[in-house]
Amino acid sequence: MESLEALVAHIQGLSGSPEEVAHLHSLLKQADGEPLRAHAAALVPFLAHLSPETHSLGYLYLLEACATSGSNLSDFGGGDFLVTIAGFLTACSADQIRLAPDKFLNVCRVLKDQVMQLIMPIRGIAPLRAAVRKIQSSPEQLTPVHADYLLLCLLAKQYKAGLSVLEDDIFEVEQPKDLFLYCYYGGMIYIGLKKFPKALELLHNAVTAPMSMLNAIAVEAYKKYVLVSLIVNGQVPSFPKYTSVSAQRSMKNHAQIYVELSTSYSNGRYTDLETFVQANSAVFQSDNNLGLVKQVLSSMYKRNIQRLTQTYLTLSLEDIARSVQLETPRDAEMHVLRMIEDGEIHATINQKDGMVSFHEDPEQYKSVEMLEHIDSSIQRLTALSKKLASIDENMSCDPAYLMKTGRDRGRFDGRFDYDDYDSVPHKYF
Amino acid sequence: MDLSAVQAALSDKSYSALAPLCDELLLQAASKGATTDEWPYSVHLLAHLYVNDLNSARFFWKSLPQEVKETRPELAAVWRIGQCLWNRDYAGVNTAAQGFEWGPDLAEFITAFLESYRQRIFKLLTSAYSTISVADVAHFMGMSEEDATNYAVQYGWSLDAATRMLTVKKLKAQTNQKLDASKLQRLTECVFHLEH
Repeated sequence: MESLEALVAHIQGLSGSPEEVAHLHSLLKQADGEPLRAHAAALVPFLAHLSPETHSLGYLYLLEACATSGSNLSDFGGGDFLVTIAGFLTACSADQIRLAPDKFLNVCRVLKDQVMQLIMPIRGIAPLRAAVRKIQSSPEQLTPVHADYLLLCLLAKQYKAGLSVLEDDIFEVEQPKDLFLYCYYGGMIYIGLKKFPKALELLHNAVTAPMSMLNAIAVEAYKKYVLVSLIVNGQVPSFPKYTSVSAQRSMKNHAQIYVELSTSYSNGRYTDLETFVQANSAVFQSDNNLGLVKQVLSSMYKRNIQRLTQTYLTLSLEDIARSVQLETPRDAEMHVLRMIEDGEIHATINQKDGMVSFHEDPEQYKSVEMLEHIDSSIQRLTALSKKLASIDENMSCDPAYLMKTGRDRGRFDGRFDYDDYDSVPHKYF
Repeated sequence: MDLSAVQAALSDKSYSALAPLCDELLLQAASKGATTDEWPYSVHLLAHLYVNDLNSARFFWKSLPQEVKETRPELAAVWRIGQCLWNRDYAGVNTAAQGFEWGPDLAEFITAFLESYRQRIFKLLTSAYSTISVADVAHFMGMSEEDATNYAVQYGWSLDAATRMLTVKKLKAQTNQKLDASKLQRLTECVFHLEH
């Protein structure tokens, strides 16, 4: 094995063009492994001679060897080493590190473990945010770093930082576990930001994703899914057809108390729901869902007041208070005011007469802003349907699929029935 | 730690830009492992309240170490404003903001915050009420009854002195309905897509 100095010299010399980098890559692969890790402590000073942007690939190999060498990171000057890793993740060149994705993922994992050990998750946020963009081959790809990044955002309570990664639509997933964690943590971030409809989408994906056996992440996601469904829609929908069989059969058994909560909610009486919540608060607390359950409880007032708008045009504050089980008309007034502020209801309060008048939604869908909104939605849908058409086409050409459908239709004795095969694109002929 | 951008924004009075700026700087500083003793906590928290981003304000407060919360009375005073906003104690916001001796960096920011808050509350009252008592208006806006009446009358509200009730004048909603030619192109693309 070459000496470290020779290796470093290679790295410095061969990081110019893509061909040089490819050559360097094969050299590094030869030098990689236990011999490199054994020299871990000696590697650190060499890192100072390399630049993270231009020598990204070489830097990555050396850094990964140090990070996974198993020795305590404080041997490398603890906190400073973290700063080195952080600096590398932010500054490295995406093209170079994509040649060695496993090593890059290892380094990210080490960073996340370290900041969690130091109980300073906020330190890992900016570097991992950069890392996600570097290793993604396109914004539609899900990587293991996504889940780690969202976890750090949750722990550090930097919920808004998590949004940058959640806004992309994901179309490519490699590891199912990444998807489950991404949907679950993403749902929690949206819950924290009180964007409940978006949280519902992500949690729905976690619950209905294909799974041969029930997994713990999906069960936890289901519990939150029930609670968020109640807040958004006032009811929990039944499982859609595409949900996996194992989920449909056994999911509810693991979340029995949540199912009971949703039954109690649908009866519409605040006091009953309150009693139920108090009786079972220990269970909700141990699931870390007590805060969310309390939000479900307070959404009951909102839901009941909204129900009133379907029956009445005007109603006195006293009647509202009585029907919704609030203490005083003043409470009812404050509740209605709050709902008007949040845009959950269209109404006007008349203090002189103590009445509230309910209105229709004044939106007439004629303004320029609304047109822009509809326009961008149409564009997104068009792009989505094109994507779906191309996925469908690719799948129709897939040999495994063709074999399965051919088998189901029975044997053909070598004859081609053109009518039957018309749906197959003519790529093969 | 380079806080010049924050200072610049404060002196420019570009208060709405402060919150994302502070957030980003904090993340960058944390990744470099810098200590955050001289971090402008009060400014950061108030910046969130200024744009009415109560969620971020709450999480920011929750993430602070206990020691920081206890040793900075100005920060605690800003948080009291935040608590009132969170609990929708509309009047309490004014008392909390006006009842503290603010330091020189924050004094102007607080005044700007109160002004924008007052406008927001007035807009809410305009949209939510058809009639409202003078006492309530004064209560929500944090003004004396006379000041509140004058403010309201300025915006076209009418006062019924006998019952001490104000009748709200609703604003005519401005809707922009002008279309332009590029929409035709869009429409063509859309129909083309539907046909195929």
